[in-house]
Amino acid sequence: MASATLRDVRFAGMATCVPRRVVSNLLDCRPQQRAERERLVRNIGIEFRRLANPWQCFSDLAYIAAEALLEKLQWAREEVDALIVVTQSPDYLIPATACILQDRLRLRTGVIAFDVNLGCSGYPFGINVLGSLIATGGVRKGLLLVGDRCASLEDPIFSDAGTATALEFSPGAPPMFFDLNTDGSGYKAIMLPAGGGRDPFNARHLLPVREDENGRWHYPDELILDGTEVLAFSTRRVPPAVEAILAYAGAAKEEVDWFVFHQANRMINETIRRKLALPEEKVPSTLRDFGNSSGASLPVTITARLREALSTAGKKRLLLSGFGVGLSWGNCLVTLENAVFPELLET
Amino acid sequence: MTDVHLFIENFLAACDFDDPPENATLQSVLKELPRWDSLAMLSVIVMFDMEYGKTIDGGHLKAAVTIGDLFRLLEG
Repeated sequence: MASATLRDVRFAGMATCVPRRVVSNLLDCRPQQRAERERLVRNIGIEFRRLANPWQCFSDLAYIAAEALLEKLQWAREEVDALIVVTQSPDYLIPATACILQDRLRLRTGVIAFDVNLGCSGYPFGINVLGSLIATGGVRKGLLLVGDRCASLEDPIFSDAGTATALEFSPGAPPMFFDLNTDGSGYKAIMLPAGGGRDPFNARHLLPVREDENGRWHYPDELILDGTEVLAFSTRRVPPAVEAILAYAGAAKEEVDWFVFHQANRMINETIRRKLALPEEKVPSTLRDFGNSSGASLPVTITARLREALSTAGKKRLLLSGFGVGLSWGNCLVTLENAVFPELLET
Repeated sequence: MTDVHLFIENFLAACDFDDPPENATLQSVLKELPRWDSLAMLSVIVMFDMEYGKTIDGGHLKAAVTIGDLFRLLEG
């Protein structure tokens, strides 16, 4: 799909939950890494991250966000017709986490619930999937839960978060515009090679495969991320896709209140912003305080930076841009009015 | 024609070395620089894109031996 429009779908609200535990990239590392970390923080722009406790799953964070959002919206649980979960850190490989959360959230059994396996690009895709169910009838109110438990103490990039977004059928709601794209030829740029059908877990995966410059051993069940490929992909693909959705929607940049990008790292995000000639005040960032929280980074940024502005009267237009694993990239242009935004939740 | 000295200056600024070499030339070997690592490579890709309007990728950087090899990418 290149571009598409959804009508009669209203963005009703959003809630974000992050772990209470804050990790500092400068302080929570070996003393001999300090100089290297200072250079890293200067360049990637990530100083603090949120780290879930070992027993917490993504779904625990998303559950808290969903409960808070349902309460704020005052939606009855039997009104919810669909529950879409976008994550790459499910509770189990089988069954879908959406099924577990249907029961945990005490939604009725008549609900559509399934997982979508996408990461950093996932938020616009999730809005499109749930919005399409609503636009085509049948589903009147739905929840989209997006996020990952992807942080570790050692890795300086990733941060944990779980988010909930509510969409509902509302005749006459401003149209939502989408531009969604995939290029699987680059799938090796971000991948977790072990544990799937191609290379099922076995004893061999218990052995480390390489030692990095900091003396840390890496195992086959860890995410592989080719930084140069991801940077080249992001800065090449995202700016023209943003221009494309604006052209498709017939919207000028000046007519968009905020451009919210996936929070990858400062080099990627600044290059995208500069290529699009967007003023800094229109491009909110949470990289310094929340790092890269995968698919949740858009809701994290909206909740942490725009919640108060979005809670004031009047229509606000947001361009939401996700990009990453797949490789995939997607943009969504939405108009918000009277949507609810509970305060940032911590657990 | 691209200024060599400006290119080297931009290159060193992009790499953000803790202890930048004072006498870097086109003949300087990348692996002998104080920290020619993945972070420096990312910054150099951005530098090529934003300063010179040239798209390069990790393959170009891994194939380069000297700063001069990078400079010549501007001509390709």
